[in-house]
Amino acid sequence: SERPTLRAVIKVTLLKHEPTGKPIVLEGVFVGGSAGKAEGKLMQYHPLSLCNTSEDERQESDFITIVKLEHRVPRCKALHDKARMALDKGAQAVIFDVSDDANAAAELREIDSLPRPVVLVEAEDAEELMGLVNKNEEAKVVIEIKMEPKWPHYD
Amino acid sequence: TEGPPACPKGCDRCSEYNGCIKCKPKLFIFLERNDIRQIGVCLASCPMGYFGMRNPEGNNRCTQCKIDNCEACFNRNFCTKCKDGLYSHSGRCYVSCPPGQRTANETMEC
Amino acid sequence: GQSSGDGERAAGRGGCPGRCRCEVDGLLHRVDCSDLGLREVPGNLSVFTSYLDLSMNNLTVMSGGALSNLHFLEELRLAGNDLSFIPRGAFAGLYNLKVLMLQNNQLRSVPAEAFNNLHNLQSLRLDANHISSVPVGCFSGLRSLRHLWLDDNSLTEVPVEALSELPALQAMTLALNHIGHVPDHAFSRLGRLVVLHLNNNRIVSMGTSCFHGLHSLETLDLNYNSLVEFPTAIRSLSHLKELGFHSNNIQSIPEHAFTGNPSLITIFFYDNPIQSVGRSAFQNLPELRTLSLNGAADLTEFPDLTGTRSLESLTITGARITSLPGSVCEQLPNLQLLDLSYNQIQTLPSFSACESIQKIDLHHNEIEDVEENTFAGLMSLRSLDLSWNRLTSVKPNSFSALPALNKLDLSSNQLSSLPLIGLQSLTHLRLAGNDQLMELIPREELPRVRVMELPFAFQCCAFVSCDRRGGAPSWERDEAESAGRDAAAGFSSQVDQDWEDFLMEFEDEPKPQHSVHCSPTPGPFRPCLHLLGS
Repeated sequence: SERPTLRAVIKVTLLKHEPTGKPIVLEGVFVGGSAGKAEGKLMQYHPLSLCNTSEDERQESDFITIVKLEHRVPRCKALHDKARMALDKGAQAVIFDVSDDANAAAELREIDSLPRPVVLVEAEDAEELMGLVNKNEEAKVVIEIKMEPKWPHYD
Repeated sequence: TEGPPACPKGCDRCSEYNGCIKCKPKLFIFLERNDIRQIGVCLASCPMGYFGMRNPEGNNRCTQCKIDNCEACFNRNFCTKCKDGLYSHSGRCYVSCPPGQRTANETMEC
Repeated sequence: GQSSGDGERAAGRGGCPGRCRCEVDGLLHRVDCSDLGLREVPGNLSVFTSYLDLSMNNLTVMSGGALSNLHFLEELRLAGNDLSFIPRGAFAGLYNLKVLMLQNNQLRSVPAEAFNNLHNLQSLRLDANHISSVPVGCFSGLRSLRHLWLDDNSLTEVPVEALSELPALQAMTLALNHIGHVPDHAFSRLGRLVVLHLNNNRIVSMGTSCFHGLHSLETLDLNYNSLVEFPTAIRSLSHLKELGFHSNNIQSIPEHAFTGNPSLITIFFYDNPIQSVGRSAFQNLPELRTLSLNGAADLTEFPDLTGTRSLESLTITGARITSLPGSVCEQLPNLQLLDLSYNQIQTLPSFSACESIQKIDLHHNEIEDVEENTFAGLMSLRSLDLSWNRLTSVKPNSFSALPALNKLDLSSNQLSSLPLIGLQSLTHLRLAGNDQLMELIPREELPRVRVMELPFAFQCCAFVSCDRRGGAPSWERDEAESAGRDAAAGFSSQVDQDWEDFLMEFEDEPKPQHSVHCSPTPGPFRPCLHLLGS
């Protein structure tokens, strides 16, 4: 049965700016039954780093993983295993930029029983987020469920 | 971005955000962490604390050593160079040699 | 490319050839000339050079004596060049050389004499060349060599004679070659070898004494070969800790297969067409932590694991086991994961003595009952999968003493009721496929549940807050009022109120933030009211 997809609000605050820096507000879609709140420092992971358990690069503080998926990267694991692996590495949540991997979104939407939030972003939202990553800007991310009319219209 | 010209040395396929995503044959991809960024670079030999894992598909990777007090390793469990002042024995590093083992100070081995 | 000729400026900088990057560490120099397009070894190197990196250049020849005055050189990196031949004397004078890297060049043979008398050499990398021959005597004089890489080459046989001159060797890889057979006594002079990688070759057969003499071997990697028979030659490896022979063509594991290897901690043998397993094959392995066996169709009896008490993970799937010994937990007191899915188990013993067990997978068997003591007292059990069995009943207290249980899968059985005693910590519950199970599940009985798969949609209503206001579920009322209305604009205020309450639950901090995903999701054709058959 088609599970209602919940949207995510992603608030990004740059840590190197004075405290009054207004958060950048972006949007994404929660995957499977993973909707929920999460908070942590933004940390990029190369898609190949989620390939086997030996890369035990543990981060100390709370962090939120962002991975830019690309269809040209040799696929070593199913995406839901990558999501689980990222969470097993201690991520409070995982954000997948699926702009350049059309199949990823479809593949990821169908997983459930994820212990913490997994969010898909694309287009402008993804571009802005990856722009911050590219500038290596330390940023804090807060993920929440977006408030929108609960029951989409059944036509 | 497709094709070598825009990619760093030794890289066959790269992208703006992930750096290298496929290295030239025989090289190892190393996922270099630089603060919040993690990008792929291509190396002929892996940096300290990593060993090169080759595979038939050519997706050779630098993989982390899993041995305490080890600077360079042959595989995940066998150290080839222990940190200064430590003794090596059967691929592990010891502050002092296990019981029953004689110390060879010139090569820092048991 | 720019050659290293501009010596004047370099000489001014204390023997740092043009464009190279140099560091001085006390008396010694570390020189990095990698990736400069050099065609020959720079001439004006300081005699105090201890580290020289010439990798990723275009060197095609190593002229004799090019480095002969570098008596302090300890590490020489020549990886990623185009060297196809290295003459005798190329490394003459390098009395203190410890590490020599020649990987990723164009060598077709190991240089016959270039390495002779490098008495202090400890690590030699020859991987990723095109080596098909290893001349006798080529390693002569390397009395200190500990680590040898010959992987990713074109060897068709084990270079037995050449290797016999390496008494100090501790780690060697011959992986990713074309070796088809390992003869008897292939490594008989390598008494100090600890690690041997032979993976990704074409090994079809092995002499029964081929590992003779490897008294110190702890890791043996035979993965990705074409072995048809179990490698009985391992019997002489008394110190073996890690053995891999996964991805081969082995069909049976004999009785007493590992009697010669009491120190084994891990054995990887998945992806073999293993049909039969000797019942005593895995006996007396006191250090073994993990045992995984899939698809052994001829296996009808649970293996005798006497003396293998440290097992933490046991997986035997796709066999024809019909029952388990009552003493399974006494035999395996440290078990944490048990996966016996896809067998023909009909009755279960009590697992109470498996005190550390965290996960039990028994799906796709023929189990009919779960007794009161089957899972009693398993304080660490987090996940229990009994789906795809023939369960008709579960005793009232069968799950009552499982404080850590958060995943329970009883789907695709023949249950008509489910006792909820003790299930308060569940986060995932699957009951789909129990077509006789029509009772409502009170939400307060499962306060932490987040993912549910139930037999009928009406059973989900209690969990997806569709009738919490007492009135008809809001989406059903909407459906009646909103025929033809634009979806985005037209929701009644009642729905917004529900939504506020729903989110309020998220704002309450200590309470876990979760939405309950319950399927089949109630909808217009699967109403909340329990209608016969819906």
